[in-house]
Amino acid sequence: MGGRVSTVRVQERVREHVARGAPVRIVGRGGWLDGGRPVDDFEPLSLADDRAIVEYVAGDLTLTARAGTTLSDIAAATGAEGQWLALDPFGSRNGTLGATIATGSAGPLAHAFGTPRDTVLGLEVVTGGGEIVRAGGRVVKNVAGFDLTRLFTGAWGTLAVITEATVRLRARPERDETVALLVPADGALGDWLARLRILPFTPLALEMVNSPLSATLGLEPAALLLARLGGNDDAVRAQRQLLGALGDMRDVPASVWSTLATAEPNGASVARVSAPPSRLHAIWPVLSRIDAGSLAHATVGRGVVRSICAPSDDGNGQRWLAAIGTCEGTHIFERLPARAWRTIPCRVDDPISRAVRTAFDPARILNRGILGEVA
Amino acid sequence: MALHTETPSRASGPQPEQAQDRRGALIQTEALASLLAAIVGERGVLARPSELSAYSSDGLPGYRLRPRLAVFPHTTQQLVDVVRLLARKQCPFVARGAGTGLSAGALARGDAVVVGLNRLNRIISIDPLNRLAVVEPGAVNVTLSRAAGAYGLHYAPDPSSQTACTIGGNVAENSGGPHCLKYGVTLNHVVALKVILPSGEITTLGNADGEAEGYDLLGAFVGSEGCFGIALEVTVRLTPNPQGVRTLLADFTSIDAGARATSAIIAAGILPAALEMMDGPTIRAVEASIYAAGYPADASAVLLIELDGMDEGLDADVQRVEAHCLAAGARTVRIAANEEERTRLWQGRKKAFGAMGRIAPDLVVQDAVIPRTRLPDVLREIAAIAELRQIQVCNVFHAGDGNLHPNIGYDSRNPDESRRVGLAMRDIMQACIDAGGTITGEHGVGLDKLEYMPKIFSPESLAAQCALRDAFDPERRANPGKVVPVHSCREWVGA
Ligand SMILES: Cc1cc2nc3c(=O)[nH]c(=O)nc-3n(C[C@H](O)[C@H](O)[C@H](O)COP(=O)(O)OP(=O)(O)OC[C@H]3O[C@@H](n4cnc5c(N)ncnc54)[C@H](O)[C@@H]3O)c2cc1C
Repeated sequence: MGGRVSTVRVQERVREHVARGAPVRIVGRGGWLDGGRPVDDFEPLSLADDRAIVEYVAGDLTLTARAGTTLSDIAAATGAEGQWLALDPFGSRNGTLGATIATGSAGPLAHAFGTPRDTVLGLEVVTGGGEIVRAGGRVVKNVAGFDLTRLFTGAWGTLAVITEATVRLRARPERDETVALLVPADGALGDWLARLRILPFTPLALEMVNSPLSATLGLEPAALLLARLGGNDDAVRAQRQLLGALGDMRDVPASVWSTLATAEPNGASVARVSAPPSRLHAIWPVLSRIDAGSLAHATVGRGVVRSICAPSDDGNGQRWLAAIGTCEGTHIFERLPARAWRTIPCRVDDPISRAVRTAFDPARILNRGILGEVA
Repeated sequence: MALHTETPSRASGPQPEQAQDRRGALIQTEALASLLAAIVGERGVLARPSELSAYSSDGLPGYRLRPRLAVFPHTTQQLVDVVRLLARKQCPFVARGAGTGLSAGALARGDAVVVGLNRLNRIISIDPLNRLAVVEPGAVNVTLSRAAGAYGLHYAPDPSSQTACTIGGNVAENSGGPHCLKYGVTLNHVVALKVILPSGEITTLGNADGEAEGYDLLGAFVGSEGCFGIALEVTVRLTPNPQGVRTLLADFTSIDAGARATSAIIAAGILPAALEMMDGPTIRAVEASIYAAGYPADASAVLLIELDGMDEGLDADVQRVEAHCLAAGARTVRIAANEEERTRLWQGRKKAFGAMGRIAPDLVVQDAVIPRTRLPDVLREIAAIAELRQIQVCNVFHAGDGNLHPNIGYDSRNPDESRRVGLAMRDIMQACIDAGGTITGEHGVGLDKLEYMPKIFSPESLAAQCALRDAFDPERRANPGKVVPVHSCREWVGA
C-alpha cells in the first residue's frame, strides 16, 4: 500500500470521523504515544503500513517517503549512497518519518543540522477538514506561497495527518568519530563552555551528559562532553587537536549515540529547559544533579538541557518538577504522568493558534487534547 | 509573466454618480492623509501623484500601481499608531522596505497605503556571546553584517541586493543569496519576530531565549510577503566568520559542462559555501561594465565556487572540487590568490544584474528552482526557448541549489518584443515545473507569479494557504491580492 490510494483512504477515514464527530489518535509505530498530553477518548488512525520510499534521487540529496516509513528504512536506503537524513530524535530508530515531523523531534545532530523545520522540504497531508493538501515541494529552495510546511511540522498532528514528506539529505562525512572530555567543576564551567562555543568548527554533535547517564551509556561515571567530529582526514585531525586542548580526551565508540537515544527508562518523565547558550552553565549544575538517579544531557550549542526523571512512587516526581521550576528558561515537557499535565500551561492558546486550529481542524477530531488546547 | 501597467480604468467617461464617488474618495484620502500626518508629521506623508511615482514600482519592470498614499514612520511607536489608524479606517496597506523586490510584491493598488519602513533602520542590539542581533525592519542587510563584523560575526543570508534591501523585506520574502547553499535561507536565521498584525495587535512569534513551542507561526510568517502583518523587530542568528575561505573560478566552453560539474560536486556530497553559475552573455556584460572581474570573456560559462571553514581540510576539498570541474571539461580552474581578487570575483557576480541592466532598457530577473540533477537538461531547454522566441537570455544563478535566474533584457516600448518575452517566461516556468521544480526560490510570488500558483498547487492547497493568511489577517487588508489568486480563497471548509 502507498501513495495516492492510501492518502485517499486516510481522507475517507478523516471525513467519516468528522461526520461522526469522533476524535482520532494518529499513530505511527506507536512507540511514543505517551509523548505530549493524553489524547481525549479516541480511535486510532494508524499510518504504520503506509511505508514506502516514493522517490530518492541521490544526486539531488532529497528523498520523498510515505509517513509510515521508519527512520531506519531511510537510513538503510540513504546509507547505501553515502548519505543520511541528519535527524536523530530520541527513541528507537523504528520511529516513523511522519511522527518525527509531526512532533518536530530532533536529537544531538540538531547542533549542526537543526530540527525538522530545517530539513522538511514538502508535505502531503489530510487536514482535519478532510482535504488533501500539498505544501512545499521536492526542491531545496522554495518560496512559492504561504509556508504550510512549517505550520504542519511540529503541530503534533492537531491540524492535519501527514501522509508523505520530502526531506533534505546530507552527504555522510568521510570521517565520523566521537570523543569524550571530562566536564570541569561548576566554577570553571562557564569559561570552558565559552571556549567550546568559539571553536572554529561545528562538530556534528556536542552533547554534555551527567554522571548517571554516562554510567548508563557504559562510560566512566563522570560528567562528560561527547563530541561527534565529522569531515575529511585533515579536518578531523585538527578538530581533535583543538578539542584536546580543552581537557582530557578519549575515544568513544560511535554506538554511544544510539544508546543515548534509548537511554531513558520506560515511564520516565522528560522535560527540556532551554536558555541562551551563554546561560547553560547556570542551568546545568541544577538539572544534572537533581538526585542520584536523574539523567540529564545538554545540547551545548543550542542551550537545551534535557532532564529525565525515572518513575518511582516516593515523590521524586514532585522534587524533579520543583527543580525544573527553579531554572530560568523555556520549559518544554515531553512526557509526564497524566495528572501532572494539568499544571502545565498550553502553548497554543493565543488567538492566531486558535484561529489556525479552527481553520484546519474545525471539528477538533485530530489528536484532541495533545497540546492541552481547550475546546 | 504578465507585462502590464495598470492605470485607473475609465470606461466611457465618468457617470455623475461615479464622479461623486470619486470626489468622495478624494476627500476621504485627504482626511486620511492629515490623520497620518498627525502621527508622522507632514513630511512623512506623500500624496501627490508625482511624489508617489517612486513608490509605484519595485525592482521588477513591467508593473506600475499608484498607491493611495505613502507614509513613513520614524519610530516604532509611530508605525504602531499608523497601523492602528489604518485598522480603524479599514484601509488596506502594503509594507515596503527598500523596494528591491522582484515580484511586484511591494506594489499597492489605488485603495491601499504604502507603509515605508526604511527610516526604521536601527540595529537595536548585538549579543556576541549568543550570536544574536535585534534589528528594526528597515535595517539594511549589509549594515548588520558590518556591525557584526566587529565581533568576528556576520549575518549569513546575503542577497545580491544586500547593499540596499532591508531585513524586514528579507523576512517577508524569505530571501536567499549565494552563501545560503551552505548556511541556509532567511528562515533558518530568524529566531523571533515582534510583529504588528493588521488588526493593530502586537505579538511575538518564536523565542529568542530558548526553544519555541506550539505552532511554528514564526516559520509561517517568514516568507509571507507582507500579507500577515508588519515585522516591527527582528531577532536573527549571527554566524561566525569562517577561519579560511577559498574562492575558485572554473571556466567552461559549454553551459552543459558547467551544469554537469555542478551536479557532480553536489552529488559527491561536497557542500561549498556558494556555487554560482554565470553564462557567456552574463560574463560579457560584466566584463564590459565597471565591475569587470577578470572572467574569461570567451567562456560559455563560469562557476564561482567558494569553500570555507577551518583551514585544515579546506585544501583537500578544493582539490576534489577542482577535479570534478576538470572531469566535466573545465578549461581552467583558478583560485583567488588574495582577498582583493576574491572581492573582485564576487563583485562581478553580485553586480551582474546591474551590468545586464546597462545593455537593455528593461531587464526581467526570473527565479525558479529545479532538482539539481536536472540542471543540464533544463538549461538546454531554456536555450531552445530563447531561440524559438528570439530573445536573449542571460543565466546567472545559484547553481548549487538548482535556483535558476534566467534574465531577459528587452525594450518595453517594443510591444512585439515584450510579447515574446512574456511568452518565453511562461515557457521557461513550464519547463521548470515539468522538471519537478517550483516557480520561485527566493523572489516570491507577489503579483508576478500569481498565474503560476494553480500550476503547482491544487485548489484545496491554495485554499489552505488562504486559511493560514486569514488566521493572521481575517480582513485581508495586508498586501491584498498578492501570493494566492483571490478566487482560490473563496471556499475553505474550515472557515
Ligand atoms: C539587483 C537585485 C539583486 C537581488 N538579489 C537577490 C538575491 O540574491 N536573493 C534574493 O532572495 N533576493 C534578491 N533580490 C530581491 C530583493 O532584493 C529581496 O526580495 C529583498 O528581500 C527585498 O527587500 P526590500 O527591503 O527591498 O523589500 P521590498 O521590495 O520593499 O518589499 C518586498 C516585500 O516585503 C514586504 N515587506 C517589506 N518589509 C516588511 C516588513 N517589515 N514586514 C512585513 N512585510 C514587509 C513588502 O510588503 C513586499 O511584499 C534582488 C533584487 C535586486 C534588485
